[in-house]
Amino acid sequence: MFVHNFKYSLKALFRNKTLIFWTLMFPIILGTFFKMAFSNVTSSEAFKAINFAVVEDDNFKNDEVFVTVIKELSDEDGDNRIFDTTYVENEDEAKELLVDGKIDGYLVMPDKKDDTPGVTFINNGINQTIIKNVVEEIALNEKIGNEIGETIVKDEMAKGNFNIDIDGIYEKVMEKMSDETNLLDKSANKLDYSMIEFYTLIAMTCIYGGMLSIASINNSLANISQKGKRVSVAPTRKLVTVLSSLLASYVIQLVGLALLFVYTIFALNIDYGDNIAKVILLGAVGSLAGLAMGLFVGTVFKAGENAKTGILIAITMFFCNFAGMFGITMKYITDTKMPWLTKINPVGLITDGLYALYYYNTTDRFSADIINLIILTLVLTAVSFFSIRRRRYDSI
Amino acid sequence: MSNVIEVKNLTKSYKEIKALNDLSFEVTEGEILGLLGPNGSGKSTTINCILSLLKYDEGSITVFGKDMKPDSYDIKAKLGVVFQDVAVFDELTVYENIDYFCGLYIKDKATRKKYVEEAIDLVSLSEFKKFYPKKLSGGLLRRLNIACGIAHKPKLIFLDEPTVAVDPQSRNSILEGIMKLRDMGATIVYTTHYMEEVEMICDRVIIIDKGHVLASGTTDELKRLAKIDEKIIVEANSFDSKYIEEIKSFKAVHSADYKERVLTVSYKEGADNLVKIIEYLKKNHIKYSRVYSERPTLNDVFLELTGKELRD
Ligand SMILES: Nc1ncnc2c1ncn2[C@@H]1O[C@H](COP(=O)(O)OP(=O)(O)OP(=O)(O)O)[C@@H](O)[C@H]1O
Ligand SMILES: [Mg+2]
Repeated sequence: MFVHNFKYSLKALFRNKTLIFWTLMFPIILGTFFKMAFSNVTSSEAFKAINFAVVEDDNFKNDEVFVTVIKELSDEDGDNRIFDTTYVENEDEAKELLVDGKIDGYLVMPDKKDDTPGVTFINNGINQTIIKNVVEEIALNEKIGNEIGETIVKDEMAKGNFNIDIDGIYEKVMEKMSDETNLLDKSANKLDYSMIEFYTLIAMTCIYGGMLSIASINNSLANISQKGKRVSVAPTRKLVTVLSSLLASYVIQLVGLALLFVYTIFALNIDYGDNIAKVILLGAVGSLAGLAMGLFVGTVFKAGENAKTGILIAITMFFCNFAGMFGITMKYITDTKMPWLTKINPVGLITDGLYALYYYNTTDRFSADIINLIILTLVLTAVSFFSIRRRRYDSI
Repeated sequence: MSNVIEVKNLTKSYKEIKALNDLSFEVTEGEILGLLGPNGSGKSTTINCILSLLKYDEGSITVFGKDMKPDSYDIKAKLGVVFQDVAVFDELTVYENIDYFCGLYIKDKATRKKYVEEAIDLVSLSEFKKFYPKKLSGGLLRRLNIACGIAHKPKLIFLDEPTVAVDPQSRNSILEGIMKLRDMGATIVYTTHYMEEVEMICDRVIIIDKGHVLASGTTDELKRLAKIDEKIIVEANSFDSKYIEEIKSFKAVHSADYKERVLTVSYKEGADNLVKIIEYLKKNHIKYSRVYSERPTLNDVFLELTGKELRD
């Protein structure tokens, strides 16, 4: 029965032109538009160094990592130029520059080493987001560096070398850091913020897959459709029909996602980083979240199939917006001002996961995203199953 | 003959309305039972309650001698349902649709193939096997709807107004098909508000109104309830009320009504009524276009029992 229902669900879904358009074609078309839009931007205005200021107080001077990296990133002759950095004595000077519009933002190092460095700016724009990302990046790399540093110190001590050569360790740390992290070679010319847009596109596609589960669930429930009534009077367990049709929609979702990955990687040259296995895992889990979203919309809202699809599209676009599909600034604002929204925004979580995979070599952030996605999926599925479980209705 | 369905004191309310009110009836093995009632009388609600799709407030329902529950899969395996609204997949062809629904009951592929073909023949859709439902006319779609519900050769079949929008010719072939199913051993519950269909195929009829059984029996038994034996219909463009009054005083006349250019004279018993009327018309030089005699219909029974027409 499972196989029978699965086969026919698959057939019915594949032949549904509207569904196939939204889940398979639309993302590819949108991706193509993105590429056209962004290739114009990048070719017309090559990346210009961002005007930036650093308050060069003792806190800053004592933070060798920041001093070195910012110097490197501001080097006019280097390949890694992001910043055109002015070093100022105190925060007031920096503020003045900022107010006069001479700089886009400035950095003040905190008193305590573990606190996050303070970045200040007036407007929210792409430059500001980059400043913020780079500073976060450096801080994170520094933390990794410190940890590596500690282990090296311990190793040295274990070997009986009590006479520690700080410079040597620093060198090693720096060396290891550039091995282990991507910061230095992913900055400047490679820090392509349009990448985020493509990541949201992948995320959107995962959630759009929910349209397929809306259609599947519609066909299985007596209180939703006539077909559901017919299926419900058959001697088949509801769980079997529901799960087999959901599996069918998941398969199509994955096909759509695979097509999009192939298209964006080979035709649009989008870089998802080196960890393809994890990218695939994220896509699979993200699609599951989309499936659950569809299940939720399909069972909780009382409306026709088209209305439900509309609702799902609206919700997805809302989430896409906060995930940075229409401007990366939105992602930054959401991340800082509404972190709760980021946690429940499946599009945001998938986007962030892809971003984390690309930029970081650690998997903390990626794992957190995956776990949040799984929690979200489970919650939505549980709520939906509450409604699916009912077998006799007050009214149909 | 044993009872296949027993419905006892079934009561079901929707939010605002009591749809079924202390409804009781049985369905005997091998019969075609007609559930006849006007729009909103509770026919579909009754079927959905029997199928365990709807919750009900009171009463009991047994099917094949057992309580019907949503997980009574052994009972469900023997049921076939054709719902009032068409329920097919737009993305599947005629053949695939029937095969899909049949496959929910029949596992064996060879048997299924045979059954599907037989169902297609029964509703005469062989020319349209590869058609998608969108390409079918309303009547053909109805036929597909029926085939989807009965292909697996169920022992007990529910047909909820399956012939709405079907032209008379296909309707006849469908009705014949239904009788064939009965002759092959199926028990059938057939709802409709077409009394002609009921008269043609039903072995027994239950007339319901406002969720309650008004009367039941064979068509002949029911017609006896109507207290009239013959109706004379006179089609005339105008009819003076003084003549109507006079006709009313004729022997055995139950009632006489002039409505929409048609005079209907009902007789408690019938003998030479038509001749007498024609003579009367001639004598008074009343112009008419047609005059004919009719046997009473179930509509008259319904009229008698409720004071309103079966069909609005
Ligand atoms: N889902 C529902 N919610 C509320 N009231 C309903 C619902 N379904 C039916 N009703 C009401 O219950 C009553 C019985 O309806 P039902 O559909 O059973 O009648 P029916 O005899 O099948 O009519 P028809 O010949 O039009 O198909 C009607 O008054 C109807 O308005
Ligand atoms: Mg009905």
